[in-house]
Amino acid sequence: METVIKTRTIKDKLIFEFENSKLFLFGSTQLRDNAMESFYKQGIPTRKHEEYKYTRVDLMLKGEFDFSTNKNCSDAQIQPLKFLKDAYVVVIENGVFVEGSSNVENLPKGLTVCSLVDAEKSNSPVFEKHYAQYADVKTDPFIALNTAMTKDGAFIHIAKNVIIEKPIHIIHISTTSVNTIIHPRNLIVIDENAQAKIIESFETISATAKTVSNALTEIVVDKNAIVDHYKIQDEKELGYLVNTTQVIQQRQSVFSTHTFTLSGSLVRNNLTVVLDDEHIESHLNGLYLTVGNQVVDNHTVVDHRKPNCNSNELYKGIIEGKSTATFNGKIFVRKDAQKTNAFQSNKNILLSLAGTINTKPQLEIYADDVKCSHGSTTGKLDEAKIFYLRARGIGLVNAKKLLMHAFASEVVNTIKIEALREYVEEKISKTFE
Amino acid sequence: MNEVIEEKISAEYKYGFVTDIDADNAPKGLNEDIIRFISAKKNEPEWMLVYRLEAFRHWLTMEEPDWAHVSYQKPDFQEIIYYSAPKPKKVLKSLDEVDPELLKTFQKLGISILEQERLSGVESRVAIDVIVDSVSVKTTFKETLAEKGIIFCSFGEAIQEHPELVQKYMSSVVPSSDNFFAALNSAVFTDGSFCYIPKGVRCPMELSTYFRIEAAGTGQFERTLIIAEEGSQVSYLEGCTAPMRDENQLHAAVVELVAHKNAQIKYSTVQNWYPGDKEGKGGVFNFVTKRGICLEENAKISWTQVETGSAITWKYPSVILKGDNSIGEFYSVAVTNNYQQADTGTKMIHIGKNTKSTIISKGISAGFSNNSYRGLVRIAKGAENARNFSQCDSLLMGDQCGAHTFPYIEIKNNTAVVEHEATTSKIGEDQLFYCKQRGIDNEKAIGLIVNGYCKDVLSQLPMEFAVEAQKLLEVSLEGSVG
Repeated sequence: METVIKTRTIKDKLIFEFENSKLFLFGSTQLRDNAMESFYKQGIPTRKHEEYKYTRVDLMLKGEFDFSTNKNCSDAQIQPLKFLKDAYVVVIENGVFVEGSSNVENLPKGLTVCSLVDAEKSNSPVFEKHYAQYADVKTDPFIALNTAMTKDGAFIHIAKNVIIEKPIHIIHISTTSVNTIIHPRNLIVIDENAQAKIIESFETISATAKTVSNALTEIVVDKNAIVDHYKIQDEKELGYLVNTTQVIQQRQSVFSTHTFTLSGSLVRNNLTVVLDDEHIESHLNGLYLTVGNQVVDNHTVVDHRKPNCNSNELYKGIIEGKSTATFNGKIFVRKDAQKTNAFQSNKNILLSLAGTINTKPQLEIYADDVKCSHGSTTGKLDEAKIFYLRARGIGLVNAKKLLMHAFASEVVNTIKIEALREYVEEKISKTFE
Repeated sequence: MNEVIEEKISAEYKYGFVTDIDADNAPKGLNEDIIRFISAKKNEPEWMLVYRLEAFRHWLTMEEPDWAHVSYQKPDFQEIIYYSAPKPKKVLKSLDEVDPELLKTFQKLGISILEQERLSGVESRVAIDVIVDSVSVKTTFKETLAEKGIIFCSFGEAIQEHPELVQKYMSSVVPSSDNFFAALNSAVFTDGSFCYIPKGVRCPMELSTYFRIEAAGTGQFERTLIIAEEGSQVSYLEGCTAPMRDENQLHAAVVELVAHKNAQIKYSTVQNWYPGDKEGKGGVFNFVTKRGICLEENAKISWTQVETGSAITWKYPSVILKGDNSIGEFYSVAVTNNYQQADTGTKMIHIGKNTKSTIISKGISAGFSNNSYRGLVRIAKGAENARNFSQCDSLLMGDQCGAHTFPYIEIKNNTAVVEHEATTSKIGEDQLFYCKQRGIDNEKAIGLIVNGYCKDVLSQLPMEFAVEAQKLLEVSLEGSVG
């Protein structure tokens, strides 16, 4: 008898895994089924998919994957990753909250930090109100996949009028020894008049196999709240990261986000900020330093829905080796959003002959009384500046480093936490070596 | 001020009228027989028929693109009459023999061929290859041009008389399989203009073609091919108006430009086809593929366009900068009003070393319209020291319209310097106030500001066109400012 052997695609495998592990997954059955159905419809995006034109996520998902996630790194290994000495630390290893390694005791009043699983168990009304309300499964297959298959993540809630001075640091670590796909998910809710600083870092330790993280963070910024959000992506060669961040802002809130992509084989950031009321301020900053065969793709959407809001976006990149950097920024101004000021700037330095930069700064504007602009420049290091420095006795290598530092500093200087700024500066210096 | 707006918005399309000329129509629909019919009607050699059929077979495998930021009822390609020609008449020697109906039409448009004739002998005259529907009726100044060795004739004539040139260059820039509408055009195009400037010749006058769409339900599939040999220069004008119609008319043209070493081609367009009425009913679908190639070093291609008409515009005049030191330019003003939709821009493909390109795009949207700029700047690996500067500005008039920018920038060489900037805003209150304070009324002030806003582009137009373009801007816009 002839047997037909059909190679299963990664899509089939994911669906099979979803059916198999239903018991261990997180969230309501209806939500997950709905999300999976949406993923099934959208499939894994290929090159023909306009939004994924420059980033081959389909290639990233080629090969065999194991779906079990084990904890296998010790506390001592995690310690150096806690680079902020004075912070509340949440450790998420391979997509699962690790209470032992985390540092969430003695929390001040009004601050809740726990795992998503615990938040659900405790029937937290905040969790119920906000979970999976903002990242729409229909808009992106990775959002759908995360919503369907996430197992755990961090839940952070800051109550009304509470100001948290110490930064909250979420550390995502991948430590697997077999190729795996994980779906960590965070929900961060900042109530009215509250203030917080949140850092998410993505690291790889002792991993010997490819890890694809499909991480998703939803951030709710309520009225008058002030939130500072940082992302440090440093996943090394084995790390593949698709990182979706969905932010919703309410009246008179201020939200700043800073994305630093330092390493990782493939990093794709989908950042969406929705300005859902009046007098909101949003700042989006990003810096990407790419080397080797790295692929970094930053997709940002600023959605102005109501009048009288300001948004400011600055993304800078230095591209070396055969790496590819993509910036796709969209400013969306809806019909009602009069008196909007929206600015966007993307600047790139291409150091090598083999590097590639793709940028697509877009404006989609339906209101007339607005001021919107975008600018994009790409070039090499300025010969005149190098000459100036060399004429003053600074060697070629150092002159270049100095100029790159100066270029990056515009973004680095937006970091308001000193310890973090020093850490990032040190990392950048190492990349330039 | 609102009354002024109302009055201007409700201004009827001035150039809407129908000329009664008998057309020798093909039956509706599209199949291989129709293509054979067109080819036979035009008395074409066999290689043309083969070319058409190949394009048609490829077209059948393609899907109509939907990535543009426009929405419309897709045309039914089986409902279109692909061939309609005025009945063949005896060869005309002077204007007296031209159909008086046709002359009237031109008078209504304000283009007087009589005047052109009267002016012959004056240096700045314009040679017009008049196209009514799909067949050239009258070619003027042909003899003057022939003295210089310049070939300027209809495409059909070129196929008959210069088959070697047509075979060499046709589809060398826009392959017949390039895109859906280019393939369709390759299969069914009926006529167009052909222009060949020999080595070292500077064309003594502006070459010009006026396209008109006539006969209800006829789509126009024009094809233009311009070849500039080494060291030659030519400036080509294209202008269009269309009569008022209720049903949508499809226009899918292909324009190919080839510039050899040190050659320069300047291609200017003023487009004012019927944009549909106030409710967005009717209007021309303008799906055009325009592309030029700077084949050898120091060549230059420059596109200038003023787009005010058409219900849907889908148009990206591009330049492939293959030769070293070659230059590409794109200057555009796109105006949309009422329910018009435009998705237009350019592609600059840098392949050669030290290539330069400049993109200046000015979009103006009013009423319920949507106006998008979509452009690509690609710097290939070998394009050392390539330079690009792009500027796309949008002006919004009214709170129901949209202005969008979708630039694609792809850079694979680190010696390239690429800059892109875009702004979107409405007419500055302070500018208006400044004008009004000095006794300039609101409407004039707006006209002044808009003309100033478009000045960078309008100044690129040849003299013959600049006046017409300014008039067009005024007609299509002035009153609709809010």
